[in-house]
Amino acid sequence: MTVLEAKNLSYEYSVGTPFQVTAIKNINLTVEKGEMLAIIGHTGSGKSTLIQHFNALFQPTEGQIFLNGKDINESKESAHAARFKVGLCFQYPEYQLFESTVYKDIAFGPSNMGLSDAEIDARVRRAAAFTGIRDDMLEKSPFDLSGGEKRRVAIAGVMAMEPEVLIMDEPAAGLDPRGRKTILELIKNYRETTGSTVIIVSHSMEDVASVADRIVVLNKGTVALSGSVDEVFSHADELVEMGLNIPQITKIFAELKKSGYDLNTSVYTSEQAKNEILRYLQKGGNA
Amino acid sequence: MIKDITLGQYFPGDSFIHKLDPRFKLIFTVFVLVEIFLCKNFLSLGLIFLFSIACGLISKISFKVIMKGLKMIYLLIFFTSALQIFYNKTGTPIEIFGGKITTGGIFTAIFMAVRIISLIFVSSLLTYTTSPTALTDGLERLLSPLKKLHIPVDTLAMMMTIALRFIPTLIEEIYKIMNAQKARGADLENGNIIKRAKALVPIFIPLFVNSFRRAYELAFAMECRCYNGSNRRTRMKKMHTGWRDIVALCVVLLILAAIILLNHFFGAVI
Repeated sequence: MTVLEAKNLSYEYSVGTPFQVTAIKNINLTVEKGEMLAIIGHTGSGKSTLIQHFNALFQPTEGQIFLNGKDINESKESAHAARFKVGLCFQYPEYQLFESTVYKDIAFGPSNMGLSDAEIDARVRRAAAFTGIRDDMLEKSPFDLSGGEKRRVAIAGVMAMEPEVLIMDEPAAGLDPRGRKTILELIKNYRETTGSTVIIVSHSMEDVASVADRIVVLNKGTVALSGSVDEVFSHADELVEMGLNIPQITKIFAELKKSGYDLNTSVYTSEQAKNEILRYLQKGGNA
Repeated sequence: MIKDITLGQYFPGDSFIHKLDPRFKLIFTVFVLVEIFLCKNFLSLGLIFLFSIACGLISKISFKVIMKGLKMIYLLIFFTSALQIFYNKTGTPIEIFGGKITTGGIFTAIFMAVRIISLIFVSSLLTYTTSPTALTDGLERLLSPLKKLHIPVDTLAMMMTIALRFIPTLIEEIYKIMNAQKARGADLENGNIIKRAKALVPIFIPLFVNSFRRAYELAFAMECRCYNGSNRRTRMKKMHTGWRDIVALCVVLLILAAIILLNHFFGAVI
């Protein structure tokens, strides 16, 4: 079932000034219920512009956005309602924390929804559990936390709205490898537990390959490629041309295959690589 | 909205006006502003108004953009003109809407409006055609004699450059934060004044926090590159005075002469 649909979507910045730029043009895209979709593209490919249409922050210059079959820009109310149904977590969300305590900051979204205090409390605690925020942290000031902790608090703030679709813009940007892994794990865990739809936006193939069901590649404001992880990565040359990179491990396997080893090249994680090598050795391939 | 703030924005180009030496451009602008205030009748004011329009045309900056910059002060123009209508009681009285106004009042009202529009027009042309760095550089050079009085002109100029430099960054940041809070359901458009003022808290706190962070980072980065505010600094871009500046100087002086003559030979409105 389709949750979100973009139809012939185009957006131009600064219309009527010398700075007019077309950010995205004629994008058609569907998001299925419960899937983990990755949108990838080089800097300036229009990823961030596109996702801000999904919760009606931007009104398209042309085209429409449908949420559960209804145009979200139909009225002011539908646009406002879309904010809660489609939770958008921006890049570097830790710079948007403002409340005096972590608890209050996470509660900002739910309280804007007009929920009861008990419901808000339950949601804050659930979101905190998903993001690994301990109870003693809830009463601290968000400005006293470390960078990674702040990031998790900010993500919890969006998760606490319990949106149908959660969109994460570069959730792992600027974190060290362990931090990246933790964030990606918690997103994966959130999705498996709640069964909600997740859109993850990134320029890092490595991050996306390990979590996504399907990938949409944006290039210069249009959809360049779309399909399963395997399908998209099989266009390695085109991806490199768009300034994107396939995971290192995939590159190594492609090279190995070129030098005559009969390996499967759809390998994106070291786990898969291990299994593929074991399979190859067991088959009795000559090393 | 904030998007409409074009005042202080720079539009790159290579017109005659863009290429003027920023020092001279600053002097010319002040000169023309003084000239606008010297005008006493419609002929001289008309002359300077046409001159500003001509400058606008030469700069190749679209009038739509300039008018957008004027949008913020329409109200000011309206009130100043409206006050003049009631303040000035010379000339033939006219009865309108049951009240009495005079032709003199109407003339001064129009005069004031044209004067304010010209003022804004000319001064915004300065910022539209000069990059903030060139502008502060020019200002610093012009004020450099003050160094003799131990006024830290270069430090002040650096502060101004940094402040100007960060205006677009801050505007962009306000947008980002606004969108992020809107994404969490913050309602910035509806409600009474108190509710709206409260809605600004989630925007301004992160903005201040981030600005302080940025200020620290910038200060460290400058120190790492050995910035110490000394007056021994040289410039990457030298300023050149060329034929354009001399032409412009002649034009500005001619206009001054014309205004004095027009003021002298024709009656004054103000």
